[in-house]
Amino acid sequence: MKSSQKKIVKLFATLLIISSFIAIYKGSYSISIIDLAFGNLEEIQEFVILNIRIPRVILAGFVGCSLALSGACLQGLFRNPLADPGLIGVSSGAALGAATSIVIGAEIAPNNYINSFFLPLSAILGSIFVIVILSIITKGFKKSNITYLILAGIAINSFAGVGIGILTYISDDAELRGLTFWSMGSFEGISWSLIIPSILLIFLTTIWTLTFSRRLDIIQLGENDAHRLGIDVKKLKKNIIISSAIIVGVSTSLVGMIGFVGLVIPHVARLLGGANHNYLLIASIFLGSSLMIFADLISRTIIQPAQLPVGLITSAIGAPFFLWLIYNMKRK
Amino acid sequence: MSIKINNLSYEIENRRILKNISFEINSGEIIAVLGPNGSGKSTLINIISGNLKKTSGEIMFNGTNLDKLSIEKQALLRSTMSQNQKILYDFKSEEIIELGWIQFNNSNFRNALKEVSNECGIVNLLDKNFSSISGGEQQRVHFARTLIQLYNEYIDEKRYYLFDEPTSNLDLAHEISLIKILKEKVKKNFGILIALHDLNLAYNFADKILLLKNGELAKYGTPNDVFIEKNLSHVYEIPIVVNKKEKIIKYY
Repeated sequence: MKSSQKKIVKLFATLLIISSFIAIYKGSYSISIIDLAFGNLEEIQEFVILNIRIPRVILAGFVGCSLALSGACLQGLFRNPLADPGLIGVSSGAALGAATSIVIGAEIAPNNYINSFFLPLSAILGSIFVIVILSIITKGFKKSNITYLILAGIAINSFAGVGIGILTYISDDAELRGLTFWSMGSFEGISWSLIIPSILLIFLTTIWTLTFSRRLDIIQLGENDAHRLGIDVKKLKKNIIISSAIIVGVSTSLVGMIGFVGLVIPHVARLLGGANHNYLLIASIFLGSSLMIFADLISRTIIQPAQLPVGLITSAIGAPFFLWLIYNMKRK
Repeated sequence: MSIKINNLSYEIENRRILKNISFEINSGEIIAVLGPNGSGKSTLINIISGNLKKTSGEIMFNGTNLDKLSIEKQALLRSTMSQNQKILYDFKSEEIIELGWIQFNNSNFRNALKEVSNECGIVNLLDKNFSSISGGEQQRVHFARTLIQLYNEYIDEKRYYLFDEPTSNLDLAHEISLIKILKEKVKKNFGILIALHDLNLAYNFADKILLLKNGELAKYGTPNDVFIEKNLSHVYEIPIVVNKKEKIIKYY
């Protein structure tokens, strides 16, 4: 990493710390920052901070990290600037997996405890399935890989939509309730017991993913040249598919589909600092986490005490950026 | 020591791309691969580089079967430059060259970079964005990356460079300076295989010529043996005149 890139990473890390503090003290239940700083809190304030806000902020950070990191990895692996877990169907694969487990899993394993593992697991399987399909479909294409990946994503998104639609149709009242709450995509109703296994899994996978950065650089030369430089391309692909599927699958299973974070964050990081992945992955992690924490803060404070789905906020930021990106591509 | 290719054939979907090719890339020797479009030059390079699996035959690297060499080991023994690769994201030229540095010990990279960029005359390109420089300049940067891959002092085995039309985007001056660099490499006992279209270039600097037609070995030998009007006219299907004295080949 160059020294200018180190500075940017430090800046993003600072941004993450600041956004976390703001997000912890701000909310529909008001807590004075002075009381917070001196630990001068009433019992109910303490409860709100410790059991509602902090887990929520931590989860938002980890989800932002997951989406941005998998966006950066997929953009690198497919050598495609438009790869985003939401856009190319990875998130909806996870969503279909999660919806399947909500509706069908409840009948196979009514036990709530088992179900809480079943949900993320089937979301992970859903995303693995989609990424494998994508890499098979786009394999033969060379230059037009960009277009076909997005087209395949459209098809997969609508196919997953059909699946979720059918599941909605056949679900009973209780399942429908679960499905609806979950699919709105928000950080509501988060508790420590729910998030601890997930953030642990995301954390470990993130560390693992960071070890791919050099190989992601080399694969920019193309798969043939990467192979000639001693890279086991198949293994790298498999590893990135698995790691992206885990982090996107776990995130989606907890908070639903959140679009455009995986697209926008790596681009911003690249524009500011450069394209080498040992910088890009870390920068995306910090920037993605802070953006998601901010987006969640906006979603729960903009029309208090109601809460907007956080996916709405990220799409409002991300969709125009996506259009700008397409507009810019014609110059290349 | 050499890369020995024995009865190599390659088939895809029942179509023969290469048929019973045998030759040897000796260290300290330049072999030019010539032939019309679609004669199998790139396929041959891809097979020796380990990108494609041969259908039959045998490839021996310094006496070891290619199939038994790990891809990491192959990367230390041979370096391959393919035809025009585009890089999507904005990397600096220096970063592109750094991708060829595959050694664990990173401390010598600066020295090697200095040496190779002086050698290739690309010092002024190093901190430019790769995607913003011209096609010829990009080709020179890729050439430098290909060279630096074998800058390893700790290997005493013979090593090889394979080039697939490395001069296709170069002007005359850079074409000649690239050839000079190859000549230097040969003096240092590297073996070189280079696919070319320019018959005159091959005539004047290659030690041996491998002439391909429709995936078959039409002729293999020294330039004087191979560059015979009958051979060339047959392979390229146009009348070709060879001036042996001045080493000039005319085809128009």
